Amino acid sequence: MFAKNWFYSITLISIMGLAPASRAGDAGQKPRSDDAASRPVVTTTVGYSVPDVQLVRDDGKQVSLPAEMNDGRAVVLNFIFTTCSSFCPLSSQTFREFQQELGPDRERVHLMSISIDPEQDTPARLRDYAHKFAAGPGWQHYTGTLAASLAAQRAFGAYRGDKMSHTPLTLMRAAGAKTWRRIDGFATPSELLSECRQLLAVQ
Amino acid sequence: MMDWRAVCACLLFGLGSSAGWTAAQPAASAGEVMYLYGRLASGAPLEATRGVGGATKGAEIACVKCHRRSGLGMKEGLLVIPPITGQYLFHSRHAAFEEAELPYVESARANRDSYTDATLTRAIRQGIDSDGNPLGYLMPRFALGDADMKGLIAYLKELGSGDIPGVTHTVLHFATIITPDADPVKSRGMLDVMQQYFADKNTFPFPPSPHMRSSGKTLYSKSMYMANRRWQLHVWRLSGPAATWTRQLAQDLAEQPVMAAVSGLGGSNWVPVHEFCQREHLPCLFPNVEVPPVANQDFYTLYFSRGVLLEADLIANRISEPGAGRSVNSVLQIYRAGDSGAAAAQVLAATLTARGITVRNEALAIDASVQRLNHALRTAAAADTLVLWLRPADIAALGEVPMAATAPAAVYLSGLMGGLENAPLPASWRSNTRIAYPFDLPDHSRVRVNLPLQWFSIRHIPLVAEQVQVDTYLACGLLAETLSHMADTFARDYLVERTETMIEHRMMTGPYPRLTLAEGQRFASKGGYLVRFAGAAGTKLIVDREWTIPQ
Repeated sequence: MFAKNWFYSITLISIMGLAPASRAGDAGQKPRSDDAASRPVVTTTVGYSVPDVQLVRDDGKQVSLPAEMNDGRAVVLNFIFTTCSSFCPLSSQTFREFQQELGPDRERVHLMSISIDPEQDTPARLRDYAHKFAAGPGWQHYTGTLAASLAAQRAFGAYRGDKMSHTPLTLMRAAGAKTWRRIDGFATPSELLSECRQLLAVQ
Repeated sequence: MMDWRAVCACLLFGLGSSAGWTAAQPAASAGEVMYLYGRLASGAPLEATRGVGGATKGAEIACVKCHRRSGLGMKEGLLVIPPITGQYLFHSRHAAFEEAELPYVESARANRDSYTDATLTRAIRQGIDSDGNPLGYLMPRFALGDADMKGLIAYLKELGSGDIPGVTHTVLHFATIITPDADPVKSRGMLDVMQQYFADKNTFPFPPSPHMRSSGKTLYSKSMYMANRRWQLHVWRLSGPAATWTRQLAQDLAEQPVMAAVSGLGGSNWVPVHEFCQREHLPCLFPNVEVPPVANQDFYTLYFSRGVLLEADLIANRISEPGAGRSVNSVLQIYRAGDSGAAAAQVLAATLTARGITVRNEALAIDASVQRLNHALRTAAAADTLVLWLRPADIAALGEVPMAATAPAAVYLSGLMGGLENAPLPASWRSNTRIAYPFDLPDHSRVRVNLPLQWFSIRHIPLVAEQVQVDTYLACGLLAETLSHMADTFARDYLVERTETMIEHRMMTGPYPRLTLAEGQRFASKGGYLVRFAGAAGTKLIVDREWTIPQ
């Protein structure tokens, strides 16, 4: 529909925040900053085809993105960069708490964080970052060539032109499933948990 | 030379760690420590909770992380982080931002009540704004005692207040710094570009217009928040030993305050200048430095790349690459003592030695004859690999020693020092020599580089040091573009912050494939190629190793 390789079928849109996203600065308006008190979270079900690109995992190994995503576990994915000072730390903190709250289900979920600043984010820097956020064994960070990172970002509709324009986004998928839950906005750990448990239930 | 070993030790100390080396800072107030480092007066970490993500503490939630060092906030994606300097917190309510006599900041709003100490305390502790509305979900709710709160509010009131050095209603003053060990030809080439750029900037046909406000906005530019100011360049030419540079810089700055240093030219030692800018909170935008101090946590100096230190890493990776034919056991490096190659050679030696490769360094005196170089080359046969950190005059002289006589399996050459594709490498050396090339390939960057070259040509600027002159033009262009985004908000820290965010959008990146910065990233271009000459003559290159970011 929009592109050859992926179809976009919105089966459900739920607004979990207090109000819909108001885009500051749109239509020539002066930006209203403090009105972002609302925390719009939009969940969509979308089909994505995972691009066949090679990434470099935080342990320095070259890996295939589809292979990393098809290892029998559910996947929870986000995009970060390690020198982001504003909201990546919050996204990563949310991932850590989500991973901890998974409890025994932790083994069934693969958390993946792909760098959108791969030239800066070497495997060593990703390891430091993962350590800072106390990432458990089931949570890996990925870098690679700029082209590979861009391919991954584009495939999941996460590309915003440059790293400074990124927006909070989490994607999750049951093991082997074709469709993804796309969560735009800042979901809390418990919101992620509730989405993920639904996926694990059908897995 | 005199300070060389100390400088080298200092550089080496900082290598491999992004935060190894930091200039000394003056003592900070309790509020500033909270703001910048997330530490309370007691030394305990600042603590807070957030709607998303729960409890959190320390440097991660320091105000500076979102509101930045300037306190002027930022826009990131759809996130809008408002300014929190006294000027923006304590202004009276206006229906429209235009009516508030405030310099333009895109994330500011004017249509709320002025904060008071009491409502600001409530905002920081409970996340309620001056109108009683909840603040954004990213804003932490801080657990601050009364004394700490007082210290923080005092800091916010002071932040961004006072005169901005080097900024008047009609003029923006900039400096460019040249150290005494800088190449005089490059120095002339750089100044030609800068003086012409500033002259062009000042002839832009804006007639003088009356000021509307204390901020210096003019009637003509009101709608665009443009402030019409002339640029003035001050050349700070240092002299004498490096130990005296700081004093000279302090004197120059006292005599003529400047908003920032732009471009500039160093020799093999830029450390005193870097330290001075860090200590004085003086932005230094993209100086031409082959050996920059690697201190990513320092804020005020931005560099295009790590220069010869990047080349050393590119060469080290290639030499110790597994499966690259016969393995390398011994490396000979030749450089001139006191030149930029000395620091690069030390880095390369440290990396290779750690990987089990024997490295021998041959440091020629800076004024040693070509015969001394030839003598050193004749001993090269004992090594598998030869690494040359030499200038064009020495490279041209290699022709006197036939390649067969030296016979190492591979030769590496610093492109930055040797003149890139214009390196006068003799024919017999060309097939066996790999050149570190920390720029985009000429075929890729032609359009981006031709722009400055044509600009020079039209203005009759002699092309005497292409790479330095192109980088200088790029630095001036980045300054102009950043200032246009800043409108009439002239603050030194804000200049650095806006450069960080603007640079990634820029298409005209000169000889670099891509430029990106962020907090903690001070080198905008991160990688490089290894290339060889395609033929026995000419400047055509072939790629030996694709663009690589050393890990």
